[in-house]
Amino acid sequence: MGWYRNFLTGFSLALTCDVALADEQHITNRFSGFATIGAVTNDNPDLVFRRDISQRNGSIDGDVDWRTDSLLGLQLQTQWSYQFETTAQLVLKDRIDNTLNESVEWAFARYRPVDGLDLRVGRLGSDIFMLSDYRQVGYALPWIRPPEDTYGKISFYHFDGVDTNKRFNIGDGTLNIKAFYGKSDQEYPVGIEESDNYRLSFKGFGTSINWEKNEWKLRYSYADVEIRNNNDNLLVPALNSVSMLWPQAAELAKDFYTKSKYIKYHELGLGYDNNSWWIQTEVTLLNSDAKVVSNSHTAYLSFGKRIDAFTLYTIAGFTRTNEDATNVIAPSGYPEPIEQQLQALAYGTELGINGGRADQHSYCVGARWDFTSKMALKLQVQRFYIDKYGDSLWLKSDNTLTPKDRTANVVSVSWDLLF
Amino acid sequence: MRAYILTFLLTISLSVSAWADLLVIVHANNPVSMLERKQVVDIFMGRATAFPTQQPAHTLDVTNSSDLRAIFYKNLTGKNEAQVDAYWATLVFAGRMSPPEKLPDEAAVIKAVKNNPAAIGYVTRQNLPAGVKVVMELPTP
Repeated sequence: MGWYRNFLTGFSLALTCDVALADEQHITNRFSGFATIGAVTNDNPDLVFRRDISQRNGSIDGDVDWRTDSLLGLQLQTQWSYQFETTAQLVLKDRIDNTLNESVEWAFARYRPVDGLDLRVGRLGSDIFMLSDYRQVGYALPWIRPPEDTYGKISFYHFDGVDTNKRFNIGDGTLNIKAFYGKSDQEYPVGIEESDNYRLSFKGFGTSINWEKNEWKLRYSYADVEIRNNNDNLLVPALNSVSMLWPQAAELAKDFYTKSKYIKYHELGLGYDNNSWWIQTEVTLLNSDAKVVSNSHTAYLSFGKRIDAFTLYTIAGFTRTNEDATNVIAPSGYPEPIEQQLQALAYGTELGINGGRADQHSYCVGARWDFTSKMALKLQVQRFYIDKYGDSLWLKSDNTLTPKDRTANVVSVSWDLLF
Repeated sequence: MRAYILTFLLTISLSVSAWADLLVIVHANNPVSMLERKQVVDIFMGRATAFPTQQPAHTLDVTNSSDLRAIFYKNLTGKNEAQVDAYWATLVFAGRMSPPEKLPDEAAVIKAVKNNPAAIGYVTRQNLPAGVKVVMELPTP
């Protein structure tokens, strides 16, 4: 009788599989989206406020700017089977390059052979921050935008490549380990309003480890990135051409090379949320042998308290460059106008080499009001203290600004929604 | 007479509290007979996409406008609806997970569970038709 029972078990298993398969052949499309309408004003007359260094517009001298935070995101997820899903997300916002290629935030296929193991290929979100792959979704953030001191510097939103994530259930906790590899490029303004842009191409790999248990969340991520190109910087040929008069000039020209330089990045994050109080903190460390990408560390600490539909929050953060600013001194003793030209070149070189430095700290208080389902209104007030030679998160109004310590008061409002 | 009134009041209060309980339901042929609270949290909060048996789980939600959804998540996770929506937005727009399927009411949830061996949903305590079974009871205060 044993074979008969086995046969029956096998038969009923096959039936179950058939039912599951029939269900899997049902293709579902899910369309969803998010939007933010935001207005920002900054009272500093010399520096333009921006959300991250890829932006080339923003508020200055009391202007109201709508482009800093306003955006529209549209997403289509198609589930072909339990194992196989595709996702495409389009984000429309103010950016340097508004071609379709840049506006496609994600476009990937995901394969899930078993629960807890994901393999993805295509254009993917870079998982190098606590909020990295949803930092444009205002409704999902407690604040109007991610803390600028930490999030302003690295503007990678996506890369083209592969990643894999494995989940482990350990007691009451959940551990996720992810590894990724890919290429990305990004266009940046040179740091002065109305100036040219430059483009950097990156190739890299990294890992992130996320642990969640009850109210706690702890994560670490690491990325190892190589810069794949040099940019045409007019200072380079100018410096090389004067090396007869100024022997160090050729060495200074090399400081602008970025090709084959590395960036190594570490991030540590901790979150706590008991549904009444929440705390979030992150620390990052960035090292590079490219002179224009300064070695730096950043941190922020934020906490908030929910009272019914309201949340009151505060943030304190900073970013610091690890080395002193470079002083460039032109040789003297040459007749005019040569001496004056060398001095102008030295000044431009000094600005260029120090142009990637970010040294600032900030304080913020704000409120969020979840006034109806899937909509939130936010208001935040911030004060930034920006050091001399440390204003690279901002755009300068022009390149004749005197280097000095500056402060800025920034007030923002936003309306975030999901649909 | 006083004893009668007391019994009557007691019955009412008992039935009210019983009605307030929620039931987590699956298809009658689902090999899972019981789920722990943590397993239900993992499935409804997008941490797990399958039952402990590794069979795929298809989660069902009722639309936002009903109190049932708010009561379910508040009692299961302690989060209000805005927190649940914000949490799901982090998963959905990061492209990590698909959200639960939205159905208009409890009757639609029961029907969907009856028709899909992978489905899991929640309803208020009630007499359930054949083809559906309870895997967890969620007491509500």
